[in-house]
Amino acid sequence: MNSGRWKKILDRMLRVRVFGAFTGLILIMLIFTILSDKFFTWDNFISIFTTSSELGIIAIGTCFLMIAGEFDLSVGSVFAVAPMLGALIANTGVPMAIAFITSMVAAGLIGLLNGIIVTEAKIPSFIATLGSMMFFRGVLLAVSGGFPIDYFGEETGFLNALGGKIFFGMRASGIWFVLATIIFSIILNQTRYGNHVFAVGGNAGTAKAVGINVKRVKIINFIIAAVLAGLAGFTMFGRFHSIDPTAGQLLELEAIASSVIGGALLTGGYGSIAGAFIGAFLIGVLRSGLILVGAPAYWYQAFIGVILVISVIFNTKIRKAVAG
Amino acid sequence: MIVNNPEKIKLIKDNLVYMEDIVVKFGKVVALNGVNFRVGKNEVVGLLGDNGAGKSTLIKSLNGYHRISAGNIYFDGKHADFTSPKDARDAGIETAYQDLALVNLMSISRNFFLGRELQRNFLFMKLLDMRRMDEIAARSLKEVGLRNIRAMHETVNFLSGGERQAIAIGRANFFGAKLLILDEPTAALSVTETEWVLRLVKEAKESGLAVILISHNAYEVFGVADRFVVLQHGENYADIKKEETNPEELIEVIAGRIKK
Ligand SMILES: Nc1ncnc2c1ncn2[C@@H]1O[C@H](COP(=O)(O)OP(=O)(O)OP(=O)(O)O)[C@@H](O)[C@H]1O
Ligand SMILES: [Mg+2]
Repeated sequence: MNSGRWKKILDRMLRVRVFGAFTGLILIMLIFTILSDKFFTWDNFISIFTTSSELGIIAIGTCFLMIAGEFDLSVGSVFAVAPMLGALIANTGVPMAIAFITSMVAAGLIGLLNGIIVTEAKIPSFIATLGSMMFFRGVLLAVSGGFPIDYFGEETGFLNALGGKIFFGMRASGIWFVLATIIFSIILNQTRYGNHVFAVGGNAGTAKAVGINVKRVKIINFIIAAVLAGLAGFTMFGRFHSIDPTAGQLLELEAIASSVIGGALLTGGYGSIAGAFIGAFLIGVLRSGLILVGAPAYWYQAFIGVILVISVIFNTKIRKAVAG
Repeated sequence: MIVNNPEKIKLIKDNLVYMEDIVVKFGKVVALNGVNFRVGKNEVVGLLGDNGAGKSTLIKSLNGYHRISAGNIYFDGKHADFTSPKDARDAGIETAYQDLALVNLMSISRNFFLGRELQRNFLFMKLLDMRRMDEIAARSLKEVGLRNIRAMHETVNFLSGGERQAIAIGRANFFGAKLLILDEPTAALSVTETEWVLRLVKEAKESGLAVILISHNAYEVFGVADRFVVLQHGENYADIKKEETNPEELIEVIAGRIKK
């Protein structure tokens, strides 16, 4: 084989947008497999996948919004607001399905509010959603008095469908995670709307100049990010049938980290949903692997920090090579 | 908008673009202060003027990018109420912007079709028809002379300045535009690429389009334009037919040393 052919193969691999994240994931899994014989087992895979799913569903929405050039720091709060609202409504005797839909609409309205503040008042989304993150967390704590809210009803079927055990020890949240990944990958890469999302994040002025409604795209993406955060919160609610007002804290940052590990550009216009999927899974692997090798829990965040920076360095090099 | 002055009706009908008393303000800055501008059918107009004269603002108010504060715009015989660049594109105005031409991180074909993507039916969904878009973009770019044509999935980041202009011009050809607007297309080009783009302007005219060509280089525009409109400080300064002037004089006019 000549070197030209190898170059071609390498070029082709680098073009797969999740190449960096995927390589990193394999490497880290390899290390943990060597360090602990309990790591590479079905049970452990399932448990990693379950915890990754809740983060991952959020990360997909966050990534989708980041590609359009905006941030949402309030997703961690929405993660708790939606199920808490659902629990409060369902505890009055309303069917869980209706409580769920109402909560999703509420989450969507929070996204709409974020989107309108950012596009109409022209405030950087980082600041606007920092505000709504603090506001809604405050409301949660005030309403609940700081205590968890339990669901008292009998109706567990619906909650199980969201976050309960299904087969082989898998939880339903894993299905939602995979489904959301597939759906949003298709929307992003294969539809006109996805094309506009890339354009809006890549260069909002150009997008406007070819006739794309930039504000509309951004607002819709804010709504998607919030609804997915609410859905993720509900899958956790489905697991515990109880919701803590502090649930979801720091998830917004882990979601951004997942997206960035997966190759998304902080400035918008570049990234992939499959990348965010791998990023979230990688964070789950790290959490589980560190526990299994006996590292104190505190090390978890430190490691994510290191992985984040390393992955950005590599992703940047790869992007420069294939996209300029 | 009811126009009952017969002379004016004739002007609107005879020209492709007819703009009168255009005022555009950015906050307190008055970028255009009562500008009149017209482009004949199949005419190439060189739009000239110093930095900040209002050239880009004028074409951006024609194509719906900026809202005008006062004045009237007629395009193709009709009052043009473009509320967004989309309306203007649908009416047949294709623009290669000075500053907003392409999305760098997107592929050649995605840029070519941005805002007008081709779709295909798949099950119950409408998906992008990437194969057809790649094919058409490749063919159109070949037609405008894009040499050593690259894979259509490459990002436009790797393209030269001339190749970027070629995308806009190829786009105008393919979508059957009536008016092509080029805002300083040769500003960052090499000599050969400049010649290439200017040749494309001539070809566009031959194929029936009208062109607005913005430039700072009087010699360049002189070769291709039929008429020259010079702006100064957001106002009309000169309007000269090619037969009535020469490049040297044109430079003096742009600099504001001669008034014609
Ligand atoms: N978006 C904007 N906001 C505020 N002021 C603007 C904006 N766009 C243009 N201007 C101002 O309007 C005036 C005309 O600008 P314009 O870009 O139309 O000039 P130009 O003739 O195209 O110049 P150049 O040759 O440098 O491209 C300038 O004073 C400029 O600062
Ligand atoms: Mg300009």
